[in-house]
Amino acid sequence: MVDLVSKTIAYTVRPPYRFKDIVHQLHFVAVESAPIVILCVCFAAVVTIIEASFHMKMVVQNDALVPGFAALLILRELGAVVAALLVTSRVGAGLAAEVGSMQITEQIDALRMLGINPIRFLVVPRFVACVLGGFVLSILANLICLYAAMLVSQFMLGYSPGGFLMGMRAFVDFKDLVFAVIKGTVFGAVIPLFSCYYGFRCQSGAEGVGLATTRSVVATSVAIIVLDFLLGWLFSYFY
Amino acid sequence: MGGGLLFLGDVFRVAVKKPPSLHIVSEQIWRVTTQSVSTTAMAGFFVGAISTVQFTLQVKEFGALGYLGGLSTSGTIREVGPLLIAFMLSGKVGAFTSAELGTMRVTEQIDAIRCLGANPLQEIILPRFLGIIVSSFFLLAAGLMMSILGGLLMGMVFSGINPDEYLRHIPTIVTWSSIVSGLFKCFVFAFVLASICTYKGYTTTGGAKGVGRSVVNTAVATMVGIVVADWLTSFMGEIAMRLFLGE
Repeated sequence: MVDLVSKTIAYTVRPPYRFKDIVHQLHFVAVESAPIVILCVCFAAVVTIIEASFHMKMVVQNDALVPGFAALLILRELGAVVAALLVTSRVGAGLAAEVGSMQITEQIDALRMLGINPIRFLVVPRFVACVLGGFVLSILANLICLYAAMLVSQFMLGYSPGGFLMGMRAFVDFKDLVFAVIKGTVFGAVIPLFSCYYGFRCQSGAEGVGLATTRSVVATSVAIIVLDFLLGWLFSYFY
Repeated sequence: MGGGLLFLGDVFRVAVKKPPSLHIVSEQIWRVTTQSVSTTAMAGFFVGAISTVQFTLQVKEFGALGYLGGLSTSGTIREVGPLLIAFMLSGKVGAFTSAELGTMRVTEQIDAIRCLGANPLQEIILPRFLGIIVSSFFLLAAGLMMSILGGLLMGMVFSGINPDEYLRHIPTIVTWSSIVSGLFKCFVFAFVLASICTYKGYTTTGGAKGVGRSVVNTAVATMVGIVVADWLTSFMGEIAMRLFLGE
């Protein structure tokens, strides 16, 4: 794993860059995932507002601060994590299955025989695409989620968009958006590394591909939650 | 979608006509629970820690640090816990089940069962279906306990709150309605997951490639299904509260 990570990063910064592959993968990672991410963060925003309102009513007796808190929660946790988990289950599973079936049909050995480095050929374009995709999708997810939260707080709690934005101004800094984007980028980087690692280690047979896919999705999800915790702790010293 | 509903109807009809033997179902429950309990516990631990850090930053401004334990636990049982269990289950059990059923389908083992005069829905699908639903409750309990532990540790280290105070407010904020709503959500998510992964696995076509495709399809479909179900249950809960409690 350490070997894979260090080699991937080393090959990423060194030329030749394979722009065509990267753009191709970026389309798969970012553009094709965008509809699912948008749909899911909209629903997640609604749930956040409802639950936050429930808790605030319980502790402070009114929910006037809900818009601000919800905006904070979305930017700090929800947007990046929900987007990352969705991308994991879609892109990560896809990559693990793809690399795994290349492994068991000996296409990767064939690449090596032809003198092509499989890490440079397979992992690096996906890595770059997922990092960029994580960056773009986390911005997109956060903005859409905030917009959905604004609409919901207008229709369900009765706060005008202006009130929502005021509440947001009170709690949210520009820092929060920057941290959210950093999180999204890190999560994006984790996904291809795990799925390619499990893909390369895939055991033969159709069952092996299924197992590699399952393992990579689970490992990536846990890694995202752990990283989320570590980054959240780290960032809490900068507020 | 329509095919999935018809499939669900068939499963129900089979279940009502002849319930599966307890032995097979408990075997499935055991398998699903042991497979996922370590992952769920680990994820639960970190989620408890994350929510404590986030809630600390928020409640500190009100000087309401004492409510931290209650808020963090309540948030986990109502919302994050069931969602997390469902996500972890869909990554692990959902993918595994659809791969297993898909392989059985493309290697014609399911047709063989039918040839032998047994109903594959009764013999294969139903035990897995029930196994996923029942074990999700055990996993919810495990994840929840670990998240309380994670939150407690983080509360001590990060917010400097003593464990007594952290635990004292858990019963005041976590009410029975929260527990019921958390359990209900967990049931709904497990139901969505079980129906999607068994349906996708059962209807796999196209050889080994088809199995891979149905695994990925299952992952995406369950994620979307769970998030939509989350929204629906929260929304219905809100309406029910307004109707019955007059808020």
